[in-house]
Amino acid sequence: MDMNIEIGEIMEIKKLLFVTKFEELCYDALNSLLALRNAALEHVIFLNVIERDKVAMKRGSGYLKEEEVKLKETANIRFIDWAENLFEMGMEVGAYIEVSSLIPEILKVVKKEAPDLIVIGRSHKGPLEQLYAGSDVSELMRRTEVPILVFKHMMEDNIVPEKLFKRPLFATNWSDTGKKTIEYIKGFKNVIGEIHIMHVVKESTLKSPNAHEVQKVRKVERKRLDDLCDELEDMGINARPHVYVGDPQKEIEKAAKGYQASMIILGSSEKAAILERWTGSISKNIADKSAFPCLLIPGKKNI
Amino acid sequence: MSKKVLVVDDDPDVRSFVVTVLEENQYMPLTAQDGIEGFEMIEKERPDLVILDVLMPRGSGIRLYRQLKTNENLKKIPVIMFTGIALRSFLKSQKALDEFKGGEVPEPDIYLEKPVTPEELVAAIKKKLD
Repeated sequence: MDMNIEIGEIMEIKKLLFVTKFEELCYDALNSLLALRNAALEHVIFLNVIERDKVAMKRGSGYLKEEEVKLKETANIRFIDWAENLFEMGMEVGAYIEVSSLIPEILKVVKKEAPDLIVIGRSHKGPLEQLYAGSDVSELMRRTEVPILVFKHMMEDNIVPEKLFKRPLFATNWSDTGKKTIEYIKGFKNVIGEIHIMHVVKESTLKSPNAHEVQKVRKVERKRLDDLCDELEDMGINARPHVYVGDPQKEIEKAAKGYQASMIILGSSEKAAILERWTGSISKNIADKSAFPCLLIPGKKNI
Repeated sequence: MSKKVLVVDDDPDVRSFVVTVLEENQYMPLTAQDGIEGFEMIEKERPDLVILDVLMPRGSGIRLYRQLKTNENLKKIPVIMFTGIALRSFLKSQKALDEFKGGEVPEPDIYLEKPVTPEELVAAIKKKLD
């Protein structure tokens, strides 16, 4: 599928890939996505990847074939149950259960099925492992142009918003990826209750710390946000603008809490993807640390 | 001449099981691993019977069944559904699609919920072909 969305071209989510290990992403997460049926969703693909080390050859026991069969059948029974619910709604459903490595397998299925959205739970890796190995999500962000919805680990927060699209918060930095994200948001016009759109002015970009200067910058940014909100409201999407000043990561999290956001929507540039192993990009940090589900729109890249 | 039976299932173990049963009973097995490949095979080979799974990647059995039963040239090919998906869900899905897409497709000739014994499978095949 061509994910190079042109500005002005509305992107619809017709097919989504739901990647689950079951412990971190379950039917209630899927259920919260079914609001997308009012947009364009008609096809859900399930993917369960059994990590090789769960069935790998161990000294004295060989390849654990019986364990593989057991794990596959357990996943299959779960998928059948979920699929029955979706089939009964008149949706199209497919499933993959593979013994493999997570990211390569996701990319393989993305190539075969061309989904419009990947839904994945957050990695269980610790901060140190993420720094050196890269989390599953950032690895995926680097290697695909398909938008990714990251759900949080259920055990930590135990929240799956019933209405994921009720009150999203979109943080824009006015980049090309931000523009692409807006076209993506337009595809949700029948689903979104009210979208909050924010821009965070970094303190470092303010030329002088005086109040007049800050107000001047705020006025310019607010005008840009107003124009964007008008554009969305013309399409029937209720939108509210907000300008914040400070550290983007902290302010986005603050705004999400303040407006009781149902999720955070962020674009992620290719530059950020390259730099993030060393410095940590805003989108990566929010996806990793925020308590809110995050919809990440990767930038254009040469895959 | 042996009758051609197409098995559409993404699970290689299931395909292997059905192919063995077919060969032992002098039918000619053909195989496809998803709904898209299955439809291409049906158009090309015009099998005498299709044994069809439901939950598969790249096009489910529900979609393929509907494609078959709404195609003037193919709708008379008998279909045995052979799946883990309950009949109740299958029928509800077709009803939802009837309402959504219009038209009405008939119920499958035979609906077998996995697992089945070789004898049950053979009996179902013979019922449609002999």
